[in-house]
Amino acid sequence: MENVIEVKGATKVYKALDFWNKERTTAIENVDLFVAKGEVFGLLGLNGAGKTTLMKVLLGLLKPTSGEVSILGGSADDIAIRARIGYLPELPYFPKYLKVREVMEYFAGIFGIPGNIRKQKIESILEIVKLSKKSEAGVKELSKGMQGRLGLAQAILNDPDLLFLDEPMSGLDPLGYKETRDIILDLKKRGKTIFFNSHILSEVEKVCDRVAVMHASHIKSVETLAEALKKHGSLEKYFVGIVEGNS
Amino acid sequence: MNRILAVAEYIFKQSFRNRILNVLIIFAVFAAMFSLAISELAQEAEVKMVMDFGLFAIEIFAFLTLVLSMTIQIFEETELKTLMVIMVKPIKRSEYLIGKYLGVITTVLMNLLVMTAVVMLVVKLKGGDPWDIKMLTSILYSYMGICVLAATAILLSTVSTTVPSWVIYLFFVYALGHLTVHLKNLVKDSAGAALKTIVDFIYYVVPNLELFNLKDKLNSTGGIFEPKYLLLVFGYGILYIVVSLAAACFIFDEKEF
Repeated sequence: MENVIEVKGATKVYKALDFWNKERTTAIENVDLFVAKGEVFGLLGLNGAGKTTLMKVLLGLLKPTSGEVSILGGSADDIAIRARIGYLPELPYFPKYLKVREVMEYFAGIFGIPGNIRKQKIESILEIVKLSKKSEAGVKELSKGMQGRLGLAQAILNDPDLLFLDEPMSGLDPLGYKETRDIILDLKKRGKTIFFNSHILSEVEKVCDRVAVMHASHIKSVETLAEALKKHGSLEKYFVGIVEGNS
Repeated sequence: MNRILAVAEYIFKQSFRNRILNVLIIFAVFAAMFSLAISELAQEAEVKMVMDFGLFAIEIFAFLTLVLSMTIQIFEETELKTLMVIMVKPIKRSEYLIGKYLGVITTVLMNLLVMTAVVMLVVKLKGGDPWDIKMLTSILYSYMGICVLAATAILLSTVSTTVPSWVIYLFFVYALGHLTVHLKNLVKDSAGAALKTIVDFIYYVVPNLELFNLKDKLNSTGGIFEPKYLLLVFGYGILYIVVSLAAACFIFDEKEF
């Protein structure tokens, strides 16, 4: 099967913040990873494990210090590749004086969605994330969970082939969990590839095909969800076992 | 081009609807109207007083609009991390930066137009000519100076790591931009070679904002308002904007988020 994400020996060392250039931080080290087309891939890890750095390296927001990274057969530096990806950051923020529709129009303009279908496209996406009734509301009127949905809406506006979700359940209520999960499963059904970071194991268990555990800057384990459950009984045991060094 | 315009529109809407900027515009209008009261002090030169104060207020509030508008942008980009969402979209970093520049200078323009209208009204109330060509040219060049400063502000934002450091750099450039020409004159005859080199360096690197300051020369008899001179200053402004934005794009292209 075709791989849409390929990472070989990726290392990211952050530049030192001190004057003497001594305090360098290795955020990810020698990471090897692949994600196949149509897969839902969950990256698990404790806070500070390097998950967000790895995602940023994949997205081209950070340049790897060494190693090779390829997404959709190319680099995220390529605009044509970026037109095919979606990204939801953890706790997305949008300007509070804009309306929901205006935020979406802005992103539609950047995606180059033609004016004649833009309105309809935005309405359909807002319908999917259950924000259609709020399209004329200002961002400042939205709850934290609704802002998360708006974040998801902008991430799927271009019907991406590859979707990156950084803690997509962050700030959501239980209904929001379910709706986000349904969106992920629907995208999966349509053959989209999804890469997401999370530490809400119950949600990962419900949507992922494969999972990886990242700990102390390294990928410690990559398994199919079925294998992990079979070997360890639950995702929690699998995860805890790895981060505590028992697996 | 569409992507640049999308960014510009977004930045403009975001800035123009911001309450802090709205309050600033109200203050600016009051400041222009305040010239009415001030003019009573100058019994024989009321129109001149109104114009001088109005033009001064326009420049100061245009500068403050620029600072506030960009502070909001930089704060959201760096502290609230809005930039990450945009940088993974199919837009070149240079397009984003140019769109941001256009959005910011449009915000300043709107504020400046409101203030100009008020100043023209006040001048008319005092019996002066609201369409005084020197006054309007002076406003146009004040705006040009702000456009030059905005390009420098964009460049500074690519090298600053925090909002306070950016604000400090910008105020420093604003002050130096008005002082370099005087500094150059000061060291012309008396100072040593090293100091002259330093002053020359500052003179050529920092934008010479004093060139755009026509408001202090409304009554000058020199060639300040001659088309040739104005064209030369305009050309300098355009060149400075292009070079600053090109340097900003180059640095921004290498930036990590």
